[in-house]
Amino acid sequence: MADVVPTEEFIALAGGRVHLLRAGTGEPVLFLHAAGGAAEWLPFHGLLASSGFEVIAPDHPGFGKSDEFPEAEAVDDLVFHYLDVLDALGIDRPHVVGASFGGWIAAELAVYAPHRIGSLTLLSAAGLRLPEHPVTDRFLLPPAKVVTTLFHTPPPASPTATPGAPPDLDAVIAAYREATALARFCWVPFMSDPKLERRLGRITAPTLVVAPSDDRLIPVEHARRYAARIPEASYAEVADCGHAMYVEKPVEFASVVTGFLGARPLSGAGR
Amino acid sequence: MKFSFFHLMPYPYLPDDFDTAYESTSLTYPNANFDPALGASLYARYLDELEYADQLGFDGIAVNEHHQSAYGLMPSPNLMAAALTRRTSRARIMVLGNAIGIRGNPLRVAEEIAMLDLMSGGRVDSGFVRGIGWEYFGHSINPTKSRSRFNEAHDLILKAWTSPELFAWYGENYEYRYVNIWPRPVQMPHPPIFIPGAGSTETMKFCAERRYTYMSVYAPTRIVRRWFDGYRQAAADLGYVADPEKIAFSVPIYVADTDEQAHAEGRPAVEWLYHKGLRQTAAMVTPPGYNVAGVAARRPCRGNARVRPELVRGPARPGAGGRRVTGLRGQAAGRALR
Repeated sequence: MADVVPTEEFIALAGGRVHLLRAGTGEPVLFLHAAGGAAEWLPFHGLLASSGFEVIAPDHPGFGKSDEFPEAEAVDDLVFHYLDVLDALGIDRPHVVGASFGGWIAAELAVYAPHRIGSLTLLSAAGLRLPEHPVTDRFLLPPAKVVTTLFHTPPPASPTATPGAPPDLDAVIAAYREATALARFCWVPFMSDPKLERRLGRITAPTLVVAPSDDRLIPVEHARRYAARIPEASYAEVADCGHAMYVEKPVEFASVVTGFLGARPLSGAGR
Repeated sequence: MKFSFFHLMPYPYLPDDFDTAYESTSLTYPNANFDPALGASLYARYLDELEYADQLGFDGIAVNEHHQSAYGLMPSPNLMAAALTRRTSRARIMVLGNAIGIRGNPLRVAEEIAMLDLMSGGRVDSGFVRGIGWEYFGHSINPTKSRSRFNEAHDLILKAWTSPELFAWYGENYEYRYVNIWPRPVQMPHPPIFIPGAGSTETMKFCAERRYTYMSVYAPTRIVRRWFDGYRQAAADLGYVADPEKIAFSVPIYVADTDEQAHAEGRPAVEWLYHKGLRQTAAMVTPPGYNVAGVAARRPCRGNARVRPELVRGPARPGAGGRRVTGLRGQAAGRALR
């Protein structure tokens, strides 16, 4: 079921091409990826696509196989970018699921254009400025600490990995390109839009906020604040899981998300 | 050939467990380790050294800008240059340079350099640098805007120095409705400009087009030679021969009566500089967007400062006046040519 094979598409916008992966049939789900995970189709996506949804997973500007869109330099530009993407896809009002950085974009999208959002699911979303619960500076994270920061239970090292092997140059370049794109949108204010929290009351879509129980990148207080500020939002935690979320616990995350989406068909009259 | 004395003003009093307890002298190295009494003595000593270099006959005395670091105690090079204007009389006062990539207000740089130019009787050289990686973390400046901010600040400062009339400025990074600086600099059309390069052909071209002095950052001589060749070629492409005086070679130099003595005396200082003073993590060196992706990957940084074998073991070469000039010493660097 989860081994659904996605189709790969490019859509042309005025500022460049957007790469996306798509699979499944049913109500459309726009999935907005985290800082990592562009152009990756994971078991989690397959589980959504095999549960009665059409999953559409584009790469953000400057990520994966999408173009740079250099004029996009802040998160509000990404809001208009994704409104353009929805228009180009001919999708009026999808379910929107966003993770981490993508969750921030999803929340902004729901604030700016509530009428375009069928339902909103935020998976440990960035975007709020909570100085008392600072987001870990991933830009300073040494490579050796990335996995232990992202996972509650770090996976065993890949048996095919050779310790001390020189890094794959293409992978290094791709990672620096994506870090550069991320920095463009979130260096300052760091990983947040200070105005977002007070605007969350504008959201009209049924909303689910999900946090992994042991998030060492974005403290769980961020998810709780989202849940408190978005009208009538539901809140769930996935136990024994780090910020890697659906990479660490794909079945649990897919179950929480599909349970929420299935109970809120797009034909319904909002919440 | 001219020689300048370049001071980095380090804070050398690192704890014994520095190598194991800290990842860098910069950005995150706790300032609880800074002793203000020692710091005050250092400033007095370092300014004395710069003034002494003026008395000894160095052509220039140079200062630079770094932030939140024990590697260099000059968050404001212009303050140091101001102190030097009143206590020196002949050397060029070289600010190498103001980190206009991270300044919030480049107009202030134009004003301060103009002040220094007047206060020094037209002895100021004005360097412009982008600021290095960790400073984009330290001052919360978006590194993806580094080049854009540098270029715009440069253009604005030059226009502020040279425009005969009030103007408005609307740029990608800065907006000023009234630019009309008082005072204006005394050197015409403006103080000489120095730009450091580390191999970027874009920088070579930038300098050659404007006839600015192209200044190497410290690197092995065979590599620096390639950069200088690139600058000369950029000038040739524009139809002129690069002036040797507009090529500045930064190199640690230690002078002693014999090679052995020079190595023995200089070695601890150069090892401090490259193993401790410049110790930093890869993430601090290359924040995202500071370089273009391909360049960052082709020059993978190991983080900690590299060993400089050519400095601590390299053969001594005959120097001026029959003495030996050999690798070394953080505080002494030559501005040379050819």
